[in-house]
Amino acid sequence: MALLSAKDREYLKDLFSKELENKVKLIYFGDAKENCEYCELEEQILDELQELSDKIIIERYNVNENKDLVEKYEVEMTPALILTLEDGEDKGVRFYGLPSGHEFGTLVQDIVTFGKGAKPELSSTTIEKLKAIDKPVKISVFVTPTCPYCPRAVLTAHNFALVNPLIKAEMIEANEFFDLSNEFGVSSVPHIVINRNPNTFFIGAYPEPQYLEEVLKAIK
Amino acid sequence: MVHFDLGNISTGPKDYYDILIVGGGPAGLTAAIYAGRAGLSAGVFEKSIEGGAVTQTHIVENWPGFMRIEGNELGEKFAEHAREFGAELITAEVVKITYDDDYKYIHLDNGKVVKGKVLIFATGAVPRELGVPGEKEFRGKGVTYCAACDGYLFSGKDVVVVGGGDSACDEAHFLAKMVKSITMVQNLPYLTAAKVLQDRLLSNNNVKVIYNSLVKEIRGNDKVEEVVVVDNETGKETVIKAEGVFIYIGLVPKSDLLKDIVKVDKFGYIITDENMETNIPGIYAVGDVRVKNLRQIVTAAADGAIAVEHAAKKYF
Repeated sequence: MALLSAKDREYLKDLFSKELENKVKLIYFGDAKENCEYCELEEQILDELQELSDKIIIERYNVNENKDLVEKYEVEMTPALILTLEDGEDKGVRFYGLPSGHEFGTLVQDIVTFGKGAKPELSSTTIEKLKAIDKPVKISVFVTPTCPYCPRAVLTAHNFALVNPLIKAEMIEANEFFDLSNEFGVSSVPHIVINRNPNTFFIGAYPEPQYLEEVLKAIK
Repeated sequence: MVHFDLGNISTGPKDYYDILIVGGGPAGLTAAIYAGRAGLSAGVFEKSIEGGAVTQTHIVENWPGFMRIEGNELGEKFAEHAREFGAELITAEVVKITYDDDYKYIHLDNGKVVKGKVLIFATGAVPRELGVPGEKEFRGKGVTYCAACDGYLFSGKDVVVVGGGDSACDEAHFLAKMVKSITMVQNLPYLTAAKVLQDRLLSNNNVKVIYNSLVKEIRGNDKVEEVVVVDNETGKETVIKAEGVFIYIGLVPKSDLLKDIVKVDKFGYIITDENMETNIPGIYAVGDVRVKNLRQIVTAAADGAIAVEHAAKKYF
């Protein structure tokens, strides 16, 4: 059975045909079912997405068979999905775990952003401050698919990553990576961890300027 | 069942809309539907998910036409309906509102400014805080206000739900399926939720209610470990072991963007006339954020309709 309804497929087809100006590549890393409960579903939703636009290119890899690419894209867990332009250059935008529920909208919005050249949709002040960052920053946004505040927290982080190659931004599905969530003490989402340090985090979907301040404060 | 929602996809905003709608809950989205039908352009600005707080409600049983519908699904239907009539739904946070003689302006957190002829303020209300020691310190460390968001993270754990109204009972019932046990703490000698919600909640054998009691403190080391509860009559303190505290003790209006511009009551609810218009011409308030007797999806939707009908005649 299809994961997307006929109506949703029509809506997305129309959206992608209007909004995507260039090709978008989604690089997927999966594993066998016994190691990755949600990989099969993610593969299915990617199949369905691919059918909606010829501008969406999907590359699929098994984490065990493609060690060079796993290393190149710094893949840590599966399912992993990395968004790039057609050249496959890593812009630091990724999803760990199935982008389902409200996070499917996040993925679609990201595809649209990449389809317009992967330009960050942020204020000029924010962009200036992000450009000035001179050390690696990893923003990990723990989410659940049923959390309405989470998509914006992920999108803001993803947009930050588009500004500066030193910034990486990942969505992590908290239920799916339960042990990791516990390790970081995640009990309310969105829970945003900076540089994978359990002590530098903030909770909630902040407006852009405050979000930026929290990130800057954490890396000081 | 895994869902794939199209909630927060936005392609805007444009520079101008006839009607600017801040907040994408039932009130705002109904306003958008009526705007579309009146031939007016509408931009709905929502910072989380179209559908508003409805999307966090487990089950809705008082929206006519649907005996039972998941809040999330109803919220999506509202959004879809508004889009169908041409409304643009934009995911962004409004950080400031200004106006001059001719136009209203909303300032977004990404620095953009959008102009409109009429502004409809439909931001709703947010959960009221308990105001007890430990609540702020343990926010995100066991204290939460959103069962839909965080419920699964407490699977197999003991939790406390504070409150006894519709939201508290509905969300506790939702949680009962996943957590180990629920202790409800209610300040009155009885629950105030609709009877059907009370019965459903109490049918779970892992739920018990402590009546006539207040939460005094939330304690723990790194995260919530226990909740101290005081009996209103005897003054006796009880300590409940719990890893999670879900707080559902009512709402406060989310009127901070307008409270210095339009008239509000002492609680912060926006005062409107019967057409939903505030004391500033062309600025309307609809739904839970305004002074009214009954805050429900159905009354919020009605507000949205009334405001647009009035604005369409008066300003276009």
